[in-house]
Amino acid sequence: MTNPGGGGRGQLNSRFGVNVPHGGENVTDSAKAKNDIPLEASIPDGAVPLESILCTEELHRRPWRPPDYGKENRALVALAIALADSPGTILQTLAEKALEVVQADSAGLSLLTKDEKSFYWPAIAGAWQPHIGGGTPRDFGPCGDVLDRNVPMLFTHWERRYPYLCPATPLAEEGLLVPFYVNGKAVGTIWAIAHNNHRKFDIEDLRLLESLGRFASAAYQALASIDDLKLQIAAREKAETAVRELANGLKAKIRCLVDGNIIGICTWNLESRIIEANEAFLRIVGYDREDLMSGGLSWRELTPDKWRAADEQALAEIAATGRCEPFEKEYLRKDGSCVSVLVGAALLEGRRDEGVAFALDLTERKRAEDALHQAQMELAHVTRVATLGEMTTSIAHEINQPLGAIANSASACLRWLEAQKLEEARQSVTRVITESHRASEIIDRIRELAKKAPARKDWLDVNETIHEVVALVQNGVQRNGVALEAQLSDDVPLIFADRIHLQQVILNLMMNGIEAMSGAGKGPRELWVSSEKVESTDVLIAVRDSGPGLDPKSLNHLFDAFYTTKPQGLGMGLAISRSLIEAHGGRLWATANAPHGAVFQFTLPIGSERAA
Amino acid sequence: MTEPDGVVFVVDDDASLRESLKDLIRSVGLRVEAFASAQEFLGSKRPDVPGCLVLDVRLNGLSGLDLQKRMAEADTAIPIIFITGHGDIAMTVQAMKAGAVEFLTKPFRDQDLLDAIQQALERDRNAREQRAKIEELHSRYRLLTPREREVMALVVAGLLNKQIAGDLGTSEASVKVHRQHVMEKMGAGSLAELVRMADKIGIPTPK
Repeated sequence: MTNPGGGGRGQLNSRFGVNVPHGGENVTDSAKAKNDIPLEASIPDGAVPLESILCTEELHRRPWRPPDYGKENRALVALAIALADSPGTILQTLAEKALEVVQADSAGLSLLTKDEKSFYWPAIAGAWQPHIGGGTPRDFGPCGDVLDRNVPMLFTHWERRYPYLCPATPLAEEGLLVPFYVNGKAVGTIWAIAHNNHRKFDIEDLRLLESLGRFASAAYQALASIDDLKLQIAAREKAETAVRELANGLKAKIRCLVDGNIIGICTWNLESRIIEANEAFLRIVGYDREDLMSGGLSWRELTPDKWRAADEQALAEIAATGRCEPFEKEYLRKDGSCVSVLVGAALLEGRRDEGVAFALDLTERKRAEDALHQAQMELAHVTRVATLGEMTTSIAHEINQPLGAIANSASACLRWLEAQKLEEARQSVTRVITESHRASEIIDRIRELAKKAPARKDWLDVNETIHEVVALVQNGVQRNGVALEAQLSDDVPLIFADRIHLQQVILNLMMNGIEAMSGAGKGPRELWVSSEKVESTDVLIAVRDSGPGLDPKSLNHLFDAFYTTKPQGLGMGLAISRSLIEAHGGRLWATANAPHGAVFQFTLPIGSERAA
Repeated sequence: MTEPDGVVFVVDDDASLRESLKDLIRSVGLRVEAFASAQEFLGSKRPDVPGCLVLDVRLNGLSGLDLQKRMAEADTAIPIIFITGHGDIAMTVQAMKAGAVEFLTKPFRDQDLLDAIQQALERDRNAREQRAKIEELHSRYRLLTPREREVMALVVAGLLNKQIAGDLGTSEASVKVHRQHVMEKMGAGSLAELVRMADKIGIPTPK
């Protein structure tokens, strides 16, 4: 759309026509105007040279008149007041003052646009006022010429070189342009036009325009900073609006979360008070709104003793980072029962002493977990019993066949002997012998079967092995409210043993301890597991509990197979444990613990590969 | 009553146990026939003498309890002594309900088995005698004429000669003659004896 050089007059007419719709209207939409300024700066064919439209030299040759400083000063004072009073119209005022002091037919300003591709006319007074908003290309027009040479210039009939100025009527007989500067850089021109021959610009006009040009520079800078300020204000307002809208949206969403009562939410302070809470939170802890309003809710008091440490840890985390990772704990409800919850908290923004927290009721999940765990335990037990039962049955059946045959044949033999039938008796005895061999073969086979899982001995760290078992029993420890302490000596050497077997034994002893205490009444529930080096040849591992202890009568049978005091017990645990330890060349025994409970301990020789 | 001694059948899939059972049973002078499976036993031709079956519950293929059921259905039942390695109560109850003589758990005392065998043979012997007696009555009954059978049915139903004559549309004298023939042919010494015979062979009682 912008090819003014090649365009004809009509095209240019229509283009400028947009900018001059109504006489005298102050068109300030620079963006719109800029679009209508001919931008491209290619010199059209047949354009006259620049020198032919210049007559700057004439200024010095024309009759000289005395400077009218009074008029100049009044104009400048008026401009200064206008700048202070209404900076928005200062450029137009400047154009009018220029028109007045120079006594031109038209006067105005041209400003370089930001992209520096064109000039536009923000303010014009006089005959050209309808052309406000118009302009010229940067590289092909009078303003560009002035800026290029950086001197004032006097033109005559510039439309001869710049045909796009033809529609800018009335045509200019003479045009005097003076550059003005901001920070040493020319940014525009101030100009005056005479539309006929009655008025010839002279050196005094040049002086006056230069004087006004300096003011134009000041006005331009003031306007720029005002624009800047406006932009800044607008930007800030926009940002504030966005933040407000976001906050409103968020507020509505948070309200929805709080009122939805899907999760418990409360605000709290470091003095332990719960300041506000939603219904869900109150429901979880079993208090009502009156309790909350009377200020009687304290999160420290809602926390059972055993979770105090977890709370403190969370508080430390909050103090350090402003928030804490959600963690599981329990709340003490108003009715004295405990409720499992998942809790997370964070400080309120800008506060060091107040925060918000959420709580999620885990009761259902815990119940499901407990049921699952119970089911798993039962299944494991049943499987164990069933497997053993199955094995026993099949061994019994296998063995019973030859035993039955032996009994039958031996009975038959006796009868044959009584009847003096010696041949038959001999055959019966032969059968007895054969079947006896068969029975012992079956027993050998079973023994072979048992041997198929040989010990896999390796050098292993006893303490590490204990830690692994401790990890395994964590669930049982927590479930039964047992305090578990490991007292592991640092100077325990590596031993040569089967890791799985060792773990089985320790696991068995620890589970026995936990089970013994779980049935017990009040009293402390403590379980210790310890390791130490003894006699430089052995490692001693002990598991002691604070349970009811051992019945002296049962001491002799503790390690017998199928001996059990537990209703669901198989009575194999200790028997197998002892045989595993003895297979390692160690000893396993039980004594009473002081003041109560039992100690099961075993030694293992540090060993060598030869022992394996 | 001079029936030959009975035969003891043994069905057990364990060869050595089977052989030892045969040995034991033979040592008390009884005839034994042993089989390794229920199918083998069912396929054999059994002698027409008192018998009993020593049967392992747990067999390959058809189980002992299945065999018991098959024999009951085919009306070829003989007393059964079950032996098992590890019987449970449910299994025992099922077997006993279906008529087993004894249920022995291995290892059992030899005398218990031999006593059970004696008892079972005795039971079969009695059952066979009963069956023979009823068969004899049936063959006598078959000698009666249709008229005599009609008279017999009404006599054992407790009707007087006069009533019978009325029912059959004949004379009382004629009924008397028929009645006399019935008593002779059936070999009944008294009316009470005839009633018992009728009951045993299950002749239909007229309305």
